[in-house]
Amino acid sequence: MKDKSIRWGLPILLVLIALPAVVQDTFFLRVITEAIMWIGLALAFDVLAGYTGYLNFGHGAFFGLGAYTTAILMMQAHWPFALALPMGGILAGVGALVAGLPTLRLKGAYFAIATWALSRAVQQMALIMDITGGPDGMRLPSFLNPQFFYYLMLAIVAVTFALLWYLLECSPFGLKLKAIREDDQGAMALGLNPTKLKMQAFILSAVPTGVLGGVYAYWITFIDPASTLGDLVSDQALVMVVFGGMGTLIGPVIGALLIFAFKTLFWAYLSDFQLLYLIILGAVIALSVVFIPNGLWGTLRGARSNRKDEAKKAGSSAAKLSQSEGE
Amino acid sequence: MAEPILKVNSVTKCFGGLTAVNNVSFEVQQGEIIGLLGPNGAGKTTLFNVISGFYAPTNGTIIFKGLDISGKPPYTLADRGIGRTFQVVKPFAGLSVLENIIIASFLRYPKRKDAERHAWKILENTGLADRADVSAASLTLAGRKRLEIGKALALEPTFLLLDEVVAGLNPTEADKTVELILELKKQGMTILIVEHIMRVIMNISDRLVVLNFGEKIAEGTAAEVARNPLVIEAYLGEAAA
Repeated sequence: MKDKSIRWGLPILLVLIALPAVVQDTFFLRVITEAIMWIGLALAFDVLAGYTGYLNFGHGAFFGLGAYTTAILMMQAHWPFALALPMGGILAGVGALVAGLPTLRLKGAYFAIATWALSRAVQQMALIMDITGGPDGMRLPSFLNPQFFYYLMLAIVAVTFALLWYLLECSPFGLKLKAIREDDQGAMALGLNPTKLKMQAFILSAVPTGVLGGVYAYWITFIDPASTLGDLVSDQALVMVVFGGMGTLIGPVIGALLIFAFKTLFWAYLSDFQLLYLIILGAVIALSVVFIPNGLWGTLRGARSNRKDEAKKAGSSAAKLSQSEGE
Repeated sequence: MAEPILKVNSVTKCFGGLTAVNNVSFEVQQGEIIGLLGPNGAGKTTLFNVISGFYAPTNGTIIFKGLDISGKPPYTLADRGIGRTFQVVKPFAGLSVLENIIIASFLRYPKRKDAERHAWKILENTGLADRADVSAASLTLAGRKRLEIGKALALEPTFLLLDEVVAGLNPTEADKTVELILELKKQGMTILIVEHIMRVIMNISDRLVVLNFGEKIAEGTAAEVARNPLVIEAYLGEAAA
C-alpha cells in the first residue's frame, strides 16, 4: 500500500509543482488552485463523513471561521498573514471542540441537522457583528500573485493528504474510526472510547478546513457571510465525497476534480443556464446514490477486489480438487 | 475459598417503572464457568450489560478483582480484563474479518503490526483463518458468532461474558463452539455464559444461577438446579411443579 502510494503520489506531485511553469494563463491557474482547494475540503469532510460515519453539514462554518479569523487578525490586529493563517486553523479546531461536545452525542440525521443549525447560527453572528463587517463582508489587502496562492494551496492540501493517509490508512486510528462508524456499542466493548475518537476526528476534519478558509480569504481578498458561511461549502463537499467514494482518500479527490471541472465548464460555456447546473448536479447525486452507493472509486475498487476474490476462490477450489484426487 | 474474581452485590436495574434485574447477588470464582439461566425476559442480558458496563446499576455494586467497577464505561472494563459478546452480534460489517479482530487487538497491541500478528493467532484459534479477507457481513450466523468470540478473546480478557453464542447454530457448529469454550476453561479462563440450550449449559457449567422476572430464584450445580421446584415452575408452569 505504502509503495503504491509513493509510486502514484510522487509523479503527480512533481507534475503539479511544475505546472505553473507550463501554464501561463492566470485564469487557468486560478481554476486549478480552486480545484485543489476543493480537494482539500472534500478530504477533510470525508474524515468525519466517510471514516467516522457522521455527516457534518456545518463543514462550511469551519471554512468561514478560518476565513474570518485570518481576515480579522490581518485587518484589525495587523498580524502578518503567516501568523494569522495558523490561527485560522487553530480557531477552527477549537470551534470543533466546542461544537462537538453537544453534537457528537447525536447520530445520523440528528447530527446532520444539529451541525447545520449551528452553522446557520455562526452565519447569523457574522451578519450582525461589527467586527466581521456584517452583511457587507470584509476586504483584505490584495496580494496579486497567483503562483504564490497556487503553491500555498498545493502545499496545504498535499500535507493534509499525507497526514490523513498516514493517520487513516496506516496507523490504527483509521480502523478505530471505522469501528465506530460500523457499530459504536461493539467498539466500546473492545476498549475503544467513541467520544474521544469522534472528537479527534472532528478536530482533524476542522483544522485543515479552517486553514483553507484563511488562504481563500487572502486569495479572493473579499469574504462575506453568504460566500464563506453559506451552505455551499458543506453541500459541495458532501456531493464530491459521495460521488467520488466515501471512506477513502482517493474517492474525494476524484469527486472533487470531476464535480469542480463540470461546474467550471458549465459556468464558462453555459452560464445562461445556471439553474440547469443545480438540476443536473442534483440528478447526478440522486443517481449516484442509487446506482453507485460506494461512489466512483468505491465501485471501481469493489469490482477489482471481487475479481481477485473469484480468482482466489477458483484457485482454492482447484487446490481442494487436486487434494481430494490425491486421496 | 479464595477471593472471588467477580462479586455481584444485590444489583438492581430499573428502566423507568420496569425492574429488569431485582436485587441479584452471586459470586464467580477464578476459573469457573457459571451458567446464567432463565426464561425469556428474565433479565439475563440486562445483567450482562450491567456487568460489562453498558448500563450503570440502579442499586448495588459489582466488584471485579477486588475493585468496584459499577458504572464504569465498557472501554475501561475491557482494559481491566472483561471481554463480552453480544446476543445480537455486532460485527463491523463493512470491514474484513481480519480487520474486525485487529481492532480488538489494538487494546493490548497498540502497534498495527503487532495487532495484526495477534489477530492471526486469534483467527487460527477460532477457526476463522480461512475467512480472514472476506467482509464480516458475508459470514454465516455461525461465523458471526465465532467472530464475536474472537473479538472478545483478542482483548486477552481474564473474564469472559458469553451471551448466547451457541443459540441458532446447528449441532455440529454448536459442538465446535462448546469445544472452544471448554478449551478456554482449560487455559484458566473464567466464564459467565447465558444460553438457552440446556444440553450445552448443563454440561459445561460448574454452577448455574437461575433468574426469573429479574430475581435470582436458584443457584447451584446443574443437578441441584434441575430439581429445584422454583426452577421447574418457571420453565414448565405451576402445575408441573
